[in-house]
Amino acid sequence: MKPRIEASLWGRDFGNPLMLASGTCGYGTELLEAGLLGDAAALVTKATTARPREGNAPPRIADTRFGLLNSIGLANPGAEQVVESLLPEMAFAPCAVIVNVAGETLEEYRRVVGILERSEVHVGYEINVSCPNVSAGGMAFGTDPACVAEITRLVRSSTGRPFSVKLTPNGGDIVEAAKMAEGEGADAVTVCNTFLGMKLDWRTGRPVLSRGAGGYSSPALLPLVTARVWQVASAVGIPVIASGGVWWGEDVLELRAAGASMVQLGTAVLRRPSRISEILLEMRTLLEGS
Amino acid sequence: MKDRDCRVESCSFECPGICRIGFSCPALVEEAGPGQFVMVEVSDGPLPAARRPFTLSSVSKSKGIFEIVFEVKGPGTSSLASSAPGRSCRVMGPLGRGYETSADRWLLVGGGLGAAGFPFLAASVRSARVLLGASCSDALVRTGGEAEYATEDGSAGRRGLVTDLLDGLDLASFDAIAVCGPTPMMKAVVEAVPDDLRPRVQVSLESRMGCGWGACGGCAIPASAGGYLKCCVDGPVVTAQAVDWSRMGGGLV
Ligand SMILES: Cc1cc2nc3c(=O)[nH]c(=O)nc-3n(C[C@H](O)[C@H](O)[C@H](O)COP(=O)(O)OP(=O)(O)OC[C@H]3O[C@@H](n4cnc5c(N)ncnc54)[C@H](O)[C@@H]3O)c2cc1C
Ligand SMILES: Cc1cc2nc3c(=O)[nH]c(=O)nc-3n(C[C@H](O)[C@H](O)[C@H](O)COP(=O)(O)O)c2cc1C
Ligand code: FES
Repeated sequence: MKPRIEASLWGRDFGNPLMLASGTCGYGTELLEAGLLGDAAALVTKATTARPREGNAPPRIADTRFGLLNSIGLANPGAEQVVESLLPEMAFAPCAVIVNVAGETLEEYRRVVGILERSEVHVGYEINVSCPNVSAGGMAFGTDPACVAEITRLVRSSTGRPFSVKLTPNGGDIVEAAKMAEGEGADAVTVCNTFLGMKLDWRTGRPVLSRGAGGYSSPALLPLVTARVWQVASAVGIPVIASGGVWWGEDVLELRAAGASMVQLGTAVLRRPSRISEILLEMRTLLEGS
Repeated sequence: MKDRDCRVESCSFECPGICRIGFSCPALVEEAGPGQFVMVEVSDGPLPAARRPFTLSSVSKSKGIFEIVFEVKGPGTSSLASSAPGRSCRVMGPLGRGYETSADRWLLVGGGLGAAGFPFLAASVRSARVLLGASCSDALVRTGGEAEYATEDGSAGRRGLVTDLLDGLDLASFDAIAVCGPTPMMKAVVEAVPDDLRPRVQVSLESRMGCGWGACGGCAIPASAGGYLKCCVDGPVVTAQAVDWSRMGGGLV
């Protein structure tokens, strides 16, 4: 297929494929106020849980030479507060809003979606299955394709809105998980969440992050994400949303060539919010010259 | 969330390991208040992935210049310290909440690089008495005006800790007390202030930051009200009473 900038997802046409990744743009309110959302097609909110979550003890961030580690611990004000005060602030945002949903139990995913259904602001959901499954000893739900299937089924029965299942690269077969999500009625899969990583202080032998390991994001992950997007897009018929490693406009075009319908920007926007517009410009320049 | 390209006007070492950079940016200087900080892109490429936070150390409104003073620690600060005049850096700021400066008589208590922001603060209030502590004379950040020193090795001022300089001071004679430095030092100073004077204490906190503009939730500071404050938007300057010191640990949060 010829490279292009226009994109579409869930029956909506967008001028470009750029989405803001969950956890790297809050609930969008800061970027909206700064007038920086105009060039984004959609944003995905911070992971939202049924009740407010304080998040992990600090330190939650460790920057390494080659990428950022985070262990925020799903800190968020809880679904009620999101519906009552945060989503209304985004009602007139120039981009589509998608809510990222997380839970510690299967039942929690259903509860969160149930509460969020009261809002008209968001067009759909992204289901974060990278969370530790508390009832199964803390293994991430997403590493077990059967769990992915079950969460997808629960969410499908709770909403008529479209949703994407955001898969994890940390163990388990990501292609198998994607097929399970498709089989149970997901409208897209997001490939993928952060990679498990760790930084130690060699003097003390202790991890820098309070929880030991965290999620690693870096432009160096682009080839890893590209391979997974390619594998998943070859195996499923639903749209694939790419997430991970994008820094330049060229990266977006590459991920689209690998089969992604939409492409998320995470760490790049944390570092420099105006990357949204800059990346779009880079894409235009590349396509004009090609 | 203003983000601008700022020109490096000067870059020099104060003493081994401590670098001072002057940036030209009249618009930023115009908006800045003492205690606020900036997020600096330390490289033009994508790595390191996060910016680095620095307190505004001093500003010159007439020249449109602001300065940061920092210790060279790892990749971020070493890259920045090798800047030559003329280099352009992307700088976001001024960010966060700075000092509430309506009080008249100030006591400024700083440890190490914690004193980096004091010149701006001292220049913004009616009167300021400055107490500085550091490991040795080289690590003392000069604040411009008059200051009393304590060094652990006795190489400048009194041998000892900055809290020793508090002995015998009539703390009630100050309307406001600003504290900035390593966590154990800030804890010790806050504890040395009698309960009834604690509301006068404003502390400037440090935390590892992913963004500096409220989006990532990385910069959590344990709050006395339970849960966490976001250092970048609720701080970095907060009243001592807003912090749950028992959960602050000994190091950097
Ligand atoms: C609001 C604020 C104001 C600051 N002002 C100053 C200042 O005026 N002068 C000064 O010398 N330092 C200041 N710091 C600390 C300074 O940001 C760090 O020393 C610096 O980020 C270290 O980066 P590095 O890459 O050289 O070191 P590394 O140790 O390699 O840094 C790796 C990671 O750890 C983080 N980190 C390491 N030490 C600190 C620290 N003390 N505080 C926050 N994050 C840290 C870095 O941001 C980075 O994410 C401030 C920090 C904050 C939060
Ligand atoms: C600070 C931070 C917080 C994140 N929080 C979430 C989250 O709450 N839910 C989620 O699904 N992904 C979360 N992620 C993962 C991102 O959405 C994204 O998938 C990942 O960072 C890879 O993209 P990037 O390389 O462009 O950053 C977070 C990432 C970062 C850096
Ligand atoms: S540093 Fe990202 S929220 Fe404070």
